[in-house]
Amino acid sequence: MNATVASEYSAEVHSVPIEHRFNPYSDNGGTVLGIAGEDFAVLAGDTRQVVGYSINSRYEPKIFDVGDDIVMTANGFAADGAALIDRFRNQLKWYKFDHGGKKLSIKSAARYIQHLLYGKRFFPYYVSTLIAGLDDEGKGAVYSYDPVGSYEREQCRAGGAAASLIMPFLDNQVNFKNQYEPGTDGKKKKELRYLTLPEVLDLVKDAFSSATERHIQVGDGLEILIVTKEGIRTEYHPLKRD
Amino acid sequence: MPGLSFDNYQRNHFLTTKGFGAPTATSTGTTIVGCQFKGGVVIAADTRATAGDIVADKNCEKLHRLAPKIWCAGAGTAADTEMVTQLIASNLELHSLLQNRDPRVITALTMLKQHLFKYQGHLGAYLIVAGVDPTGAHLLSVQAHGSTDVGKYQSLGSGSLAAMAVLETHFKEDMTKEEAMKLCADAIESGIWNDLGSGSNVDLCVMEVGKDAELYRNYLTPNVRSQKAKNYVFPRGTTGVLRENVRELLDIEETVVTFGDAMEVDA
Amino acid sequence: MNSISQRYTHANNNSVMNEIDSARSETSGNHQLELAPSIQLPPISQPTDFLRAHTDDASNPDCKIKIAHGTTTLAFRFQGGIVVAVDSRATQGNWIASQTVNKVIRINPFLLGTMAGGAADCQYWETWLGTQCRLHELREKERISVAAASKILGNLVYQYKGMGLSMGTMICGYTKKEGPALYYVDSDGTRLKGEMFCVGSGQTFAYGVLDSAYKWDLTIEEALYLGKRSILAATHRDAYSGGSINLYHVAESGWTYHGNYNVGDIFYDIKEKEQSFNNVDG
Repeated sequence: MNATVASEYSAEVHSVPIEHRFNPYSDNGGTVLGIAGEDFAVLAGDTRQVVGYSINSRYEPKIFDVGDDIVMTANGFAADGAALIDRFRNQLKWYKFDHGGKKLSIKSAARYIQHLLYGKRFFPYYVSTLIAGLDDEGKGAVYSYDPVGSYEREQCRAGGAAASLIMPFLDNQVNFKNQYEPGTDGKKKKELRYLTLPEVLDLVKDAFSSATERHIQVGDGLEILIVTKEGIRTEYHPLKRD
Repeated sequence: MPGLSFDNYQRNHFLTTKGFGAPTATSTGTTIVGCQFKGGVVIAADTRATAGDIVADKNCEKLHRLAPKIWCAGAGTAADTEMVTQLIASNLELHSLLQNRDPRVITALTMLKQHLFKYQGHLGAYLIVAGVDPTGAHLLSVQAHGSTDVGKYQSLGSGSLAAMAVLETHFKEDMTKEEAMKLCADAIESGIWNDLGSGSNVDLCVMEVGKDAELYRNYLTPNVRSQKAKNYVFPRGTTGVLRENVRELLDIEETVVTFGDAMEVDA
Repeated sequence: MNSISQRYTHANNNSVMNEIDSARSETSGNHQLELAPSIQLPPISQPTDFLRAHTDDASNPDCKIKIAHGTTTLAFRFQGGIVVAVDSRATQGNWIASQTVNKVIRINPFLLGTMAGGAADCQYWETWLGTQCRLHELREKERISVAAASKILGNLVYQYKGMGLSMGTMICGYTKKEGPALYYVDSDGTRLKGEMFCVGSGQTFAYGVLDSAYKWDLTIEEALYLGKRSILAATHRDAYSGGSINLYHVAESGWTYHGNYNVGDIFYDIKEKEQSFNNVDG
């Protein structure tokens, strides 16, 4: 009736070994999100930067206007993100020197960023990257990347710490996933349509205020960069600071 | 056998080596504080419970009652603080019934430390114990391995440094009850803002000599959720139905009994 | 030791050696690697171990950088050419990163490459393969054979062997001399010519359907349906496959795209039409 197993402390195998390995990565939390509309695109991110349980900064912007009406963010490890964006900006400058100030299309920028990321395939940038802008036809465009450069153009994408909280919400509210026309008995999907800018901004605000409620690394402030044919505009909204 | 079961200890160890880690227990991050004042003691806690980076409960209770006038604030593994506290509360009640005296704070602390030491830190309970008893007002704390501290002001949990910073700057001897309450609330707020493991509201408990203990649940609520920009009510029928199944849980039988004549009622 | 890792051994850090090496590489005229980009390595003695510790979610579930994996892709030869069918799901650990991935890379109007394993590896090296094929055309004044194209890719990944590339790909195309040709190339360096391949975590499910109904004499329409149906079966049983199906047909005139089919939609259509999947409601 003795159900307890004998256990010798000295013989215990520690399942979590102490690591003394080269570790150049850390996680600075935060979350980002991009939505493309018919004639605009937005990139939004919270402004909190963390490490462990501490807040490094309550206002450290991570969405940037990198030129040529393209906005960019690289969320995850802040140093890698900053390095990537610096490199892109620098290369864009040289591109302009070399090509008489020619505008870089978002399609080409997207491909170039793939090369920047894949160039470190064996020593990756620890970031999830998003860019947003307008394509050659003036339609909103969002491109998203994995850490080593596989990329895709999408209607919307969330990245970073609370991506798993926000992305399902976006699937439902932007692409109307799992929504059917009432009265069709689940036979007819809710028809896709472009959201207006005010609708998108409301979704972004709700996505971030909700993520702030449930994710400890998200909060303090929300900065939204909006790209339209008029140019790039920035909005700031406070978030909860706890 | 009473107590904890270690039946699955070796199996779980084996599973860990195979890459199946143990499920994460809720809440390691917390801010709890306590401070003494003239004729009593105050303890306070935040109300956030986390599971990793996710907030599991926005308004949990970290203030536990050990006896009517002995309360404690718990940090560490939520389940452990809860269960250890309940166990000691029961034993304390039996003890005071047996002795026919009000329980003492030092008794509660001794029972806690002996219990926790026995489990060699595997019970992740970090507690600030406070209360009033026939010997006066006391403020004590105990860590998971069984070590204890005595002090006029204390803080524990991931937000303990943020809270202690406030306590160290503003504590003074023989404060009034109101001053002590303000100090504790400020210390917890410091944890709420500056420590990611702590958040939401401030709970507070005042124990004064010769009076009943007073629990102020949600003493401060500085983190009320803002109004959402959009309304997310879906029209009825938005979700497709694959299959419908209505279960008759009750058999309803209706029997109509007809009477021949009008019913006679006694006068 | 392979040529890539050789460049990073300590012996070659000598400046004289570097000069000799660079002079040698200028004269050797390795056309294929000329355009290959330089890829940075972590400044440590064992870059491969580093990479595995940080990016391989199979050996380290807690690793921070999760690289997209998981797929079902298939291609088979038949009387009317080649049918290529793929799913569109990308997963990072248990997280579905995307349901809309394009896993068929259009190398040129006569060549298709499929994508399984590391999404970035496939996407990057298959577009790179496109540039190599174009250079071949410009140099040789004729279109590259499928055999040669697949071999360029095969040789490339072999150079990186052991460094952690993860690719399972099929190169499909049509040339006059080869007819419809299909090659399987993976990151181990395997390169196989074949009639039929299924690649990815859902490959067994796809093979199951494909083998039971495959004939050489399939009409184009039948073959396309079989390809679609096989991927559907795989998406149904493999959690790492899903999203939608992309269909292609390769013939003498090059490849033609045959549409994108959302798995959630066609499942119920096919279930009703075939009276199959009777274990599922709806």
